[in-house]
Amino acid sequence: MTPSLILTAIGAPWVGALLVWLIGDRRPRAQHALAAVAALVAAGAALLLLPAARWQTTAEAALRLPFGPFIGDLTFVADSLAVFLAVIATSIGSLTVIFSAGYMAGEAQLGRYYALVLAFIGAMCGLVFSGNLLFLFLFWEVTAFCSYALISFYNDDPRAVAAGIKALIITQLGGVGLLVGILVASAYLPDLQVSTLLAAFGDLPSGMLAVVAFGFLLAAMAKSAQFPLHIWLPDAMEAPTPVSALIHAATMVNAGVYLLARFYPAFAGVAGWTTAVIVVGLASVLLAGLLATTGHDLKRTLAYSTVSQLGFMVTGVGLGAIFESQFYLFSHAIFKALLFLGAGAIIHHAGTRDMRRMGGLWSEMRAVAVPFLIGAAALMGLPLFNGFWSKEILLETALERSLVVYLALVLGAALTAFYVARMCWLVFFRASEAQGSRGAGEQGSQQHTPLATRHSPHAILLPLFVLAAGACFAWLLAEPFAVWMQATLPFHTAWLLPHWPVEELISAHTAASLSTAVVLTATLLSVLLWAWLARTARPGRGATVRRAIGGAEALFNDSAAAVANATRGTAAVLQRTQTGQLNWNIAGLALLAVALLLLVLLGVV
Amino acid sequence: MSLHVLLLLLAGLCAGMAVRTRPLHAALWLAALSAVVSILFYRLGAPELAVVELSVGAGLITVLLAFAISMAEDEAMPAALVPRPFAWLLVVVAGGALLWLLLPALPAVRQVAADAPFVAQVWDNRQLDLVVQMVVVITGVMGVLSLLGETRAPESPAVEAHQ
Amino acid sequence: MTPLQLSIAGVVLLLGVGLYGLLISRHLIKVVIALQIMVKAALLALVAAGDAVGQINLAQSIALTVIVVDTISAVLALALIVQIKRRTGTLDAADLAQLRH
Repeated sequence: MTPSLILTAIGAPWVGALLVWLIGDRRPRAQHALAAVAALVAAGAALLLLPAARWQTTAEAALRLPFGPFIGDLTFVADSLAVFLAVIATSIGSLTVIFSAGYMAGEAQLGRYYALVLAFIGAMCGLVFSGNLLFLFLFWEVTAFCSYALISFYNDDPRAVAAGIKALIITQLGGVGLLVGILVASAYLPDLQVSTLLAAFGDLPSGMLAVVAFGFLLAAMAKSAQFPLHIWLPDAMEAPTPVSALIHAATMVNAGVYLLARFYPAFAGVAGWTTAVIVVGLASVLLAGLLATTGHDLKRTLAYSTVSQLGFMVTGVGLGAIFESQFYLFSHAIFKALLFLGAGAIIHHAGTRDMRRMGGLWSEMRAVAVPFLIGAAALMGLPLFNGFWSKEILLETALERSLVVYLALVLGAALTAFYVARMCWLVFFRASEAQGSRGAGEQGSQQHTPLATRHSPHAILLPLFVLAAGACFAWLLAEPFAVWMQATLPFHTAWLLPHWPVEELISAHTAASLSTAVVLTATLLSVLLWAWLARTARPGRGATVRRAIGGAEALFNDSAAAVANATRGTAAVLQRTQTGQLNWNIAGLALLAVALLLLVLLGVV
Repeated sequence: MSLHVLLLLLAGLCAGMAVRTRPLHAALWLAALSAVVSILFYRLGAPELAVVELSVGAGLITVLLAFAISMAEDEAMPAALVPRPFAWLLVVVAGGALLWLLLPALPAVRQVAADAPFVAQVWDNRQLDLVVQMVVVITGVMGVLSLLGETRAPESPAVEAHQ
Repeated sequence: MTPLQLSIAGVVLLLGVGLYGLLISRHLIKVVIALQIMVKAALLALVAAGDAVGQINLAQSIALTVIVVDTISAVLALALIVQIKRRTGTLDAADLAQLRH
C-alpha cells in the first residue's frame, strides 16, 4: 500500500500537469477543477501515509526500482521526515491551487501556470521521498526550474524575467554544491543510497567528508535563501502571489532545511560545519529581520520575514535540534502560507503592493483581515498559536546549548514582533488618505467596482480559513510527531529530544519556563516600541536608520551584480575567439586534442 | 590475418573516397565503409552488432543521406577555409601521437572475467541505458518532426520586393 | 603485430580520414558524412577492445547504444540541414557564421 501511495503523491500532480496543459487555455473552468483535483489526490495520498502503524512505514525503502549497478536502485523511503514534508507540500499545494481558482481567474495562460505549479508539487514530493542521492538531485533541480519559470510567469515584465533568472542562477550555484557533494560521496560509497551515506560516512576521508558537508550546506543556503545568498528571495516576489505562498514560503525554501536535517548525523562531526550552519542561520535571522523593518512592499517584507524565520530553522539544525527545527518548519509553513495568501487577497483588493497606499483595510475586508492577523500573531509567537509553541521549544533547547545563540535568537524574535506589528498597523489600522480616495473611486468610476467586489470569492476565503485553523491548532500534533520521528529515523535518534520527555513538550512547564518569559517580554517590548514610534511619528525621523538599512540591502545586491558583471566582461573577451567558422572550430578542437596527446607523451600528466 | 589487414585497408579506402567525392557519391562510399566495418565486426565475434550496423549504417543512414541530398540539391563549394597542408599536418601529428601512445601498450591487454550473454548485457545489465536510449529516440523523432513540419519558408524582404 | 594492434591502427586511420574530412569540408552534408566515418572508427575500437579482453558482448551492447545515439544525431543534423537550405539557400558552412549576429 505504501508504494502506491508514494507513487500517487508524486505522480498525480504530474499527470494533472500534463492534462491541464493538454486541455488548453480555452477552458479555464476545466483547468481550475482539474488542477484542484490533481493536487487534492496527491494531498490525500500523503495524508494517508500519516497513520504510520497501519502501513508499517519505517526507515526501510518502501519502494525499490532496479536501475542498474552503476546508480543503484531508485528507492523511495516513507519515513517521518519525508512524509511530513510531503504532507506540507501537497496540502498547502492544494489550498494554493484552490486559492488560485479565485486569484488567477481571468488570467491568460492558465495552462502553463497550473502545469508548473503541479509539476512543482510532484517534484517536491519526489525530493523528500527519494532515497537515492542522484534522484534527490534530479528532483531538487526540477523544483528549482519550476520556481524559476513561475517567478518569470509574467514574462512580458522585464523585472519578473530578471528576478527569475537571478533565482535560477543562485539556486543553480547551490545545485552545483549538491552535485559536487554527491559525486565526491559516490567515489567512496558502494552505492548512492541516502541510508548508505548516513551509515557509512566514516568511510570517507575527513577532508572529503568536509567537501560533501560544505557542498550540501551551499546547496541548502541557496535553496533556503540564507545569508549571503538570500538576495533572490525578495526579488522572487514578482511571481503570482499563490506561487510565493507555496514555493517561496511554505515548501521549496524548506528543502534546504530538510537537506541539512536529513544529513545532519553524517556531517555533525565535520570540524567547523555545525558552527558554520549556526553562523549562517543567525546572520540570516538578524539581517533579514532588520531588512524587514523598513520596506514598504508588503510581499518583500514577508519575503525577508521568511528568510529570517528560515534562519531560525537553520540555526536549530546547527544546534542539533532536529525535532525542534522541523516542528518550527511545520508551523512556519502553515502561518507563512496563510500570511502570503492573505497578502494576495489584500493586494488583489488594494491594487498595489505598497503598504503606504493601503491602510484602514480592517473595516473594508474583515474576512481576510481576521485570518491574516491570526497568521501574524503566530509569526510573532503570541501564546496559544502554533508559532508560540514551536518557537518556545526551539529557544529552550538553544538556551541549554549556548547562551549567545539564545540571545541572538531572542533578538531575532523581537525584530520579528517589531516588523509584524508595523506591517499589520500599516495595512489594517492606519487611517490613510488612500482610503478616502479609494472610497470615492468605488462610488465614482465603474472601473474600480469589480476589484472591490471580487476581493473575496469563496475560493480565496476557504484556504485562508483552513490555514487559520491550522495556525490555531496545529501545535496539538507536536507529541505524536515527536514519537513518530523517534520511531522512524534510526540515524537521527541522538538528536531527537534526547533530554526531553515527549509528554512534556506541550505543557504548562514549557509555557511557564524562564525562556518563555524572556521571549514574551522581548516581543511585548518591541511591539510597544513600535507603538510608541508610530504615535510620535514625525516626518524625517528615522531617515538615517532607514537609509542605513536600505544601504545594507543595496550592498548585497550590488556585490552580486559586480560578480555578474565580471563574468559578463570575461565572456565578452572570450567571445572574440568564436568566429563561427565550422572548419576552424574543428581545427581548434583537433589542436586541443593534439596538445593533450603531446602532454601525455611528454609525461607531464 | 592478411584478410584482416585487407579489410582494414579497404575501410580506409572507402573512408578516403567518402571524403574526396561529391555528396551523393560520398554517401554511397559511406555505405560501403559501413559494409566493410560490419564484416570486421562479424570477424571479431560481434554478429549481432554486425547486423545492426549493416541495416542501420549501410541502409537507413544512406537512405536518409540520399533523401537530404535530393532535397538540398548539389552545390559547388569554393576551396576549403583551412589550408590543406595545415589539415594534413594536424591529422598526421594527431594520428601519429595516438599510434605512438597506443600501440606499445596493447600487447599487455589480457582476457578478464567471463562475459555475460548479449541479451543479458543489453536487457538486464544496462537498463538505464535502454531508458535513456528510448528518451533519445523519442526526442530525436520529435525534433525531426518539428523541423520538417516547418515547411513555410520565411518571407525574406528581397523576395517580397521582387514580387 | 597482434590483431588488436592492427585493428587499432585501422581505427586511427579512419579517425584521421574523418578528421581531415571535417577540416576541409564546407558542404554540410559532407560534414555529416565525415562525422559518420569517425563514429565508425569509435565503434571499431570498442569491438576490437571487447574482443581482446573477452567481453565482446558488453562491447556489443555499448556499441549498440552508440549506434542508436549516432543515428538519431545524424537524422537531426540532416533535418537541420534541410531547414538551413530552405531558409538560407546555401549549405556552405562558411556562410553559417552569419548566424552569430
